[in-house]
Amino acid sequence: MEFDDITGLVAVLAIFLGLPWVVFHYITKWKTAATLTTQDEDLLDDLHDLARRLDDRVVTIERIMDAENPAWRATSLSDAPETHRLTREPRIQETRR
Amino acid sequence: MSAPRRTKFYLDRRNKKYQGVCAGIADYTGFDVTLVRVATVVLTIAGGFPWTLVAYWLTSWLAQDKPREIADDTPEETRFWQGVRASPGRTVRDVRSRFRDLDRRLADIETHVTSGNMSLANEIEKLR
Repeated sequence: MEFDDITGLVAVLAIFLGLPWVVFHYITKWKTAATLTTQDEDLLDDLHDLARRLDDRVVTIERIMDAENPAWRATSLSDAPETHRLTREPRIQETRR
Repeated sequence: MSAPRRTKFYLDRRNKKYQGVCAGIADYTGFDVTLVRVATVVLTIAGGFPWTLVAYWLTSWLAQDKPREIADDTPEETRFWQGVRASPGRTVRDVRSRFRDLDRRLADIETHVTSGNMSLANEIEKLR
């Protein structure tokens, strides 16, 4: 008899307090989760489109440069920072003179 | 209600079997549409009997058909928006990495072009 009462109490508490609590907990979590506004969506759409178009253009330029000089990647990729510095420094010196 | 949202659930009546709910779920999440349909049927048989049907009819009654303006042009675009719906943050990072990649490739091209000019200038310098 005693146990039945306790079980009933626990069941009622679980159903009428525990369950709504869990449900509302997840609802609030879901509401506060990072969602995109319409502007964000438009912006993301634009950026994605822009990235795709830029990608196409770079691919075109790379193809042209491959046709002109197939080894151009080797010169720029081998030691990119160094060649960068080498190409930049003379210019700076010239402007100083 | 002015502009149609791309992160909203829509029915997909163009690829429908009955009302387009399963096709809509497949379009929204990126799961295969057959898988969604089989899962729905299995769930119904395995004990969800009236409730899956109730959910199905409620969805088909409440959700709108996908507006024509935001119909994806390419499969690539469809996958992109499925990624956005699954995880906006990851998609934004993906787009940023695409721009970084573009920047790196353009830097390579720039390096090559400018160093090419430099070597040409050196050659002219030698000829003098």
